[in-house]
Amino acid sequence: MTRVPMEGKVLNENQLAANGLRAEFDRHGVFVLNLIGSPGCGKTALLERTLETYDPGRRVAVLTGDIQTDADAVRLARFGFPVRQITTAGACHLDARMVRRALEGWDLDAIDLLLLENVGNLVCPTSYDLGEAHKIVLLSVAEGEEKPLKYPGIFFKSSLMALTKIDLLPYVPFQPDIAEANARSVHPDIEIIRLSSALKTGLDGWLKWIERHMSAHV
Amino acid sequence: MHELSIAQSILKTVLAESAARQPARATKVGLRIGVMAGIDPQSLTFCFEALVKGTSLEPLELAIEPGRADELEFTYLELEEP
Repeated sequence: MTRVPMEGKVLNENQLAANGLRAEFDRHGVFVLNLIGSPGCGKTALLERTLETYDPGRRVAVLTGDIQTDADAVRLARFGFPVRQITTAGACHLDARMVRRALEGWDLDAIDLLLLENVGNLVCPTSYDLGEAHKIVLLSVAEGEEKPLKYPGIFFKSSLMALTKIDLLPYVPFQPDIAEANARSVHPDIEIIRLSSALKTGLDGWLKWIERHMSAHV
Repeated sequence: MHELSIAQSILKTVLAESAARQPARATKVGLRIGVMAGIDPQSLTFCFEALVKGTSLEPLELAIEPGRADELEFTYLELEEP
């Protein structure tokens, strides 16, 4: 018996597809964000608040994923920007090939910012690269401070944690400082923004975060 | 639950490596998996064994050792000379 050293990452099929997507996004100058969070954490609401601040000339597009219904695409299409729904018919996450298919027919040269709303789930989307520049994890104060410890993968891989629904803080026992300390214990460099889509507070920080990282990316 | 596709890609690599080293055959493949990689080693082993069972790759063993952060890397391949 002989043992030979072997090096290199284990690349699954999704990773290969995601690498292709990332190269394509870079070639066309598309800045891509992948929004991940539990069902009901406020991903669609944050996208609504985001799109409504953009002027009509903004070259932004959205792909939104759900297991069933085009409800989110209908909500997001009201702002006049290109929006497509991906229904996964049972899959608990978006994968790179679903994104590739959903982009079919769109001129990537006409898009500067592509927002991907993943299927509501803190687990599986973590492992599926979609070619994005950054993953963003949303955690609502209606959940729990210990989520970053229970689901460390997504907090480790996300550049930003958006702490959402802070307007509910007076009514829930959630302690934001503890949640943030937990997120930093998993990922010391994670950026954090507190916001409320309902009251439109903290949105400025979120919008500036996008612009800052977009200009750093180009 | 994407351990099946990970197991498939491990086998693909093992097949390519073994082909390059014929007539030796692979008996064990080593991996390092970090706790942030989002891979459950037990589930991966289950998928790996299910794929190998009943094929010409048998017996082929998967050996997993803990890695850092989101590491998911090959470490070694054990070969048997005929």
